[in-house]
Amino acid sequence: MTDHDELERVIETLKEPVNIDSSFDRRVMSAIGAPASPEGSGPEAAPPSLHGAAEPLPSARKSVWLSPRWTIRLSPLGGLLAAAAVAGIILATSSLTRRNESTEPVAALPELHESANATQFVLVAPEADSVLLVGDFNDWGLTTTRLARQPGDGVWFVTVVLPPGRYRYAFIVNGTTWRSNPATQVTEDEFGRPNSVVTVGGVI
Amino acid sequence: MKDENDDVLVRRVLAGETSAYAGLVERYRPHLGRYAFRMLGNQADAEDALQDTFIRGYRSLARCEPERFRSWLFGILVNRCRTYAAQRTKRQSVVTTDEWSVANSTRQQPVDDDGWRTAIGRALEELPAEQREAFLLKHVEDLSYEEMQELTGVRIPALKMRVFRAREALRRNLQENVVDRS
Repeated sequence: MTDHDELERVIETLKEPVNIDSSFDRRVMSAIGAPASPEGSGPEAAPPSLHGAAEPLPSARKSVWLSPRWTIRLSPLGGLLAAAAVAGIILATSSLTRRNESTEPVAALPELHESANATQFVLVAPEADSVLLVGDFNDWGLTTTRLARQPGDGVWFVTVVLPPGRYRYAFIVNGTTWRSNPATQVTEDEFGRPNSVVTVGGVI
Repeated sequence: MKDENDDVLVRRVLAGETSAYAGLVERYRPHLGRYAFRMLGNQADAEDALQDTFIRGYRSLARCEPERFRSWLFGILVNRCRTYAAQRTKRQSVVTTDEWSVANSTRQQPVDDDGWRTAIGRALEELPAEQREAFLLKHVEDLSYEEMQELTGVRIPALKMRVFRAREALRRNLQENVVDRS
């Protein structure tokens, strides 16, 4: 394949449509204070004026924490998170409702650290129905850190903010199958299951 | 609403019929959503940026020339995506390929297509944001360099250099990382 052919193939792939959640339109119309359809009930919002709306633009991210929200579905990281609650699970909600009305669990930090680093864990697993991340940073909790699946391919991901240090971790596919990352240092736990190791704040 | 032109819908909204904005949202959600997703690399950020764009578009609609709604709204999106991309902290990426899962995929599409899409996504994400933006605007959105200059405020020679570098970087990345499953 020539370079030109490959470029054309890349462009063709990038031009493929991307799924946007079916509730998206309703969320936008709700945010501007209008019904989603012309036949919808409810008061019409004031039309946009030359001077803009009086109220501030609603934040697309509302979190119980002061820093920008981040969820297990991956969202931009910013600031620092407050310390985790007792069970190590933080629930974050958005003022502009996401695809599910229910809140979504997010990974929790054991503690705040000034030099915390964001580390994205990615697993390519098209056959998986669910993927969990377990490791030293979440006490190997089997329900704490779920990866989100990127639509259109078999890529699962989650971002965790970790203080500098060395962490063992593994993926659990479909609730039962442990997977390690063969490209990293691999150890075995006390049950003989493979664990990978990541060093944060240093070279992986 | 589906058959009405943008300028008709815009004028209806400005006249007080806010619900007419739903027609514009429905019309441009797929196209703008694709750009946001390609630029930001994940659905959550893309939907946030897209939602933000439509809300800002509504709030400042009186400043829009109704006949130029499409390009005007797209300009807002490009700006929002730049802001969202800049706000992201630099992060490590620990990538694992579950070879077993990939090899046993029962999806109808051939495995190499999935790997190809993943490789493109990753290669695109590894580009500097300005190169990624220029490449998408030129080759995916099919804008002219003049349109890109108007949209981004960047001079044409710089845009051409960004597109060139993006193409070279993508080519190198894909040659190094695409798995040959033949």
